[in-house]
Amino acid sequence: MEPGRAPTAVIGARPGHPSWLHHLVARATAKTLHAFVVPGAEVARASGLDLAGAGLRPVATPRHANVLVLIGQIPENLARAAAVVYAQMPRPRAILALGSERVPSLPEPDVAVPAEQTALVAGVTALRQRLAADSFRPEAPVFDAAALQTVTEYTCPMHPEVVRSAPGSCPTCGMELVPREATSGMTDHAAGSMQHSHREHDETATYTCPMHPEVVQHEPGSCPICGMTLEPRASDGGDPGAAANHDGSLEMDHEAAAHHHHGDEVHAGHPTGAAHHDQMTEMDHGATNHGATNHGGHEMGGFMSMVGMTKDLPRSPDGLPMEWIEVPFGPLFPSLPGGLALTLTLDGDRVAQTAVTPGIVSRGLAATWPGPLTTFPARLARLDPLTPVTYRLLAQQALEQTAGIAVPQLAIHSRISALERERAGSHLNWLAEFVRLLGVQRLADRAAALQLALRHVTEIKQIARLRAEVAALLHDLERTPLLRRRLRGIGIVPDDEAVVAGGPVARATGVVVDARNEELVYHGLGYRPIVQHGSDALARLQVRAGEISQSLDLILATGCLGASEGSVSGELSGTGAATIETPRGPATLHLELERGWVTAAHLETPAASLAALIPVVAGGTEVADALVGVASLDLSPWTLDQ
Amino acid sequence: MITLAFILVLCLGAYLVAVLEAWTVTGRIRPAAPIVGGLALLGRESLVPRRPDRVLFETAPVLLLIAAVLAAAVLPLAPDAVLIDLASGALFVNAAWAYVMVALVMAGWGSNGAYSLVGGWRFLGQLVAYSMLIVMPITAVAMRAASLSTTAIVHSQASLWNIVAQPLGFVLFWLAAMAASFLPPFDLPVAPGELAGGVAEEYTGIRLLIFRLGRLVLIVTLAAAITIFFLGGWLGPWLPAWLWSAGKTLAVAALLLVIGQVVPRLREEQLLAWSWKLGIPLALANIAWVGITLLLVG
Repeated sequence: MEPGRAPTAVIGARPGHPSWLHHLVARATAKTLHAFVVPGAEVARASGLDLAGAGLRPVATPRHANVLVLIGQIPENLARAAAVVYAQMPRPRAILALGSERVPSLPEPDVAVPAEQTALVAGVTALRQRLAADSFRPEAPVFDAAALQTVTEYTCPMHPEVVRSAPGSCPTCGMELVPREATSGMTDHAAGSMQHSHREHDETATYTCPMHPEVVQHEPGSCPICGMTLEPRASDGGDPGAAANHDGSLEMDHEAAAHHHHGDEVHAGHPTGAAHHDQMTEMDHGATNHGATNHGGHEMGGFMSMVGMTKDLPRSPDGLPMEWIEVPFGPLFPSLPGGLALTLTLDGDRVAQTAVTPGIVSRGLAATWPGPLTTFPARLARLDPLTPVTYRLLAQQALEQTAGIAVPQLAIHSRISALERERAGSHLNWLAEFVRLLGVQRLADRAAALQLALRHVTEIKQIARLRAEVAALLHDLERTPLLRRRLRGIGIVPDDEAVVAGGPVARATGVVVDARNEELVYHGLGYRPIVQHGSDALARLQVRAGEISQSLDLILATGCLGASEGSVSGELSGTGAATIETPRGPATLHLELERGWVTAAHLETPAASLAALIPVVAGGTEVADALVGVASLDLSPWTLDQ
Repeated sequence: MITLAFILVLCLGAYLVAVLEAWTVTGRIRPAAPIVGGLALLGRESLVPRRPDRVLFETAPVLLLIAAVLAAAVLPLAPDAVLIDLASGALFVNAAWAYVMVALVMAGWGSNGAYSLVGGWRFLGQLVAYSMLIVMPITAVAMRAASLSTTAIVHSQASLWNIVAQPLGFVLFWLAAMAASFLPPFDLPVAPGELAGGVAEEYTGIRLLIFRLGRLVLIVTLAAAITIFFLGGWLGPWLPAWLWSAGKTLAVAALLLVIGQVVPRLREEQLLAWSWKLGIPLALANIAWVGITLLLVG
């Protein structure tokens, strides 16, 4: 805090007159900082930030948090999700921005500091002071953002195709229009919307009248004979979701989409917001679309009859038919990679379908790649905040390959050291989140501490000490009771699909697919491909654990702590490509150079093929097993959306 | 008067368990942490999610607390220090603990959130797993005491504690107690990583405080029950009876909190399979064992 400047009000202050009790409570609040990290704790660690060490205790849900931590540049669509998350935090709340510029959907950060540890510690101190001073203000501003607006539209219960933005009566039948929330096709944030599927508008779905089955249309509407709303009927028999949960998923999860309750809370202190959204559904749980299935529900079995509600759905294998609900598990879900907008359709607690919404972390970087070749490696390194060094090395190798320059001998070992250091760090980072998902907090904290220590290493002899600590961690991991039983057979991927993905996922099936295997230099340093058999989450864990140890050994064998230095310059031209083994799989970069200028760059990363494996690992399993399977793939959403 | 003392003792117990829990997580003993944390929670808004089932949402945390307090009401701290000396006390605690399930399922449904809902369902499955394993060891213990009264059960251990006389029952009851208080590795309903907080996910402010307090009192109650049923309650030389009880209860609570932290969370299938295929036969064997020893020894 600058001297002589009064502290600005904590934006998320709670309305109330400062009294001695509020003062006491504000000081207590300042002592207990519970942080929700955007885009994710793994990004914080990859940037070298020790949040817990600075006094910010991470929590799993924004409802239990009072600080929103923003790390690095937040992409626009993710910022909308962050706004929803912020709206769910109870006041008093604050925003701490680390190396992040002002995000349009969120208020100005209460404390903004660069993304490094000393600045973080100072920032946390400043944050505590502000919270202690200003948690309660007589007039507290209301937080409202575009991402939270729900558009209310008015529709006719008999004719759902009639939609108006103001109340009135239906032009077809004259009935009073009832309010309903706009769905994904009609809101303004369709691109970033984590809302539910478009199955209702799927071309293979057809609509038929319950009374007159001969009436079949491809769009929703009403029966020309009797005027009843047409019900969707999947023509291929595999489209159950069309009947199920339409607007319910909005309430289900805070990471998802717009909801508006916070505005209501401010005004009333009690959710009167329920009132104006409530007329549409009598069913309090709000899960079922008022349109199709409910007619069935009313006719057979009575109010909220499970028989009625599930009659159109496929029978689940465990014999217990339950209603299908769409639940977003992202993009800010703890323990899954931040930025992965995963939506699981749950049949009870079993996953029936999965979907990944692309574009959440798209930053338009691919457009920035053409440009001067001297700065190209730095531009490519911005792609993935989890593994920037790897992509910088890839760019350098591609440039050298394209221009036909040979790599100096000294630089080879240095580059290997840098690459392996990032690999070990990435795997430790993944391990920390994975083990946290499994519920073994202590091992997770140890892995996180080792990853940060590795990130901050300055001399080669520290690597030797780290190597011993990592060995101890992996030994304890191996000896954790019931861990093998927990992971064996979970998240199985068929061998042929796994091999396509490459990386540890492929090596966990017993196939040696590793770009490093082609290079003699690696073999000279003692590299041996690490493979496991099993194709399940346990095998992937074992592959990555082995690779952590091996990467540290390779660094020690090179004898240097590499830096990804070495730049290519000059008026070079040509086309070429290079492949590098990233911690997640092989990445290939094709380049075209023209007189010192990168004219075209095409990058293939393992992310797309890993994302294609998500339905395989998650479909048909219990939700916890599905999440473990998805986490075991170690997908980086930053390379999925460029 | 005794009611007030009872409530104070419970509050103190909850406070100590909170300090213990923070110690197991952070490795430091910070006596002020629960007070400061409680104050901070009180200072936060208590939000209500959109379209909740209001009755269930509001009732759930209170019911959790009430269930735990009711169970504690029949557990004695000393021969004359029990709030209600019920002749069927051992049965009553089980009935009170059943309401924990009701509270969690209410929280799951009433919050109108998918994560809470799945958490509630999971606890329902967990109850199916652990409920037999709570009742059957209690049956064996009551057999030895020839009474369901908790004070009689403690008196029956004057010669030998039940942990030695019925070790199998002790182990099963311990595991069931961890499952009933959804401590790791049985924390399926509130799984922090998997379900982002589960049943407690939508609660903030004072409601979250009551929920957490209820959970702490539940841990105290279960630890007290383990002490009374298997560790001889207040029995012990030199020190006053209540001190023995309190000390044993706290030691049991500390172990309950620590033991599961090195094991990954159980899968629902595993939990149910082991409880029913392994746990219940063992519990029946325990009852048979106790019956035989009682017939032989007297």
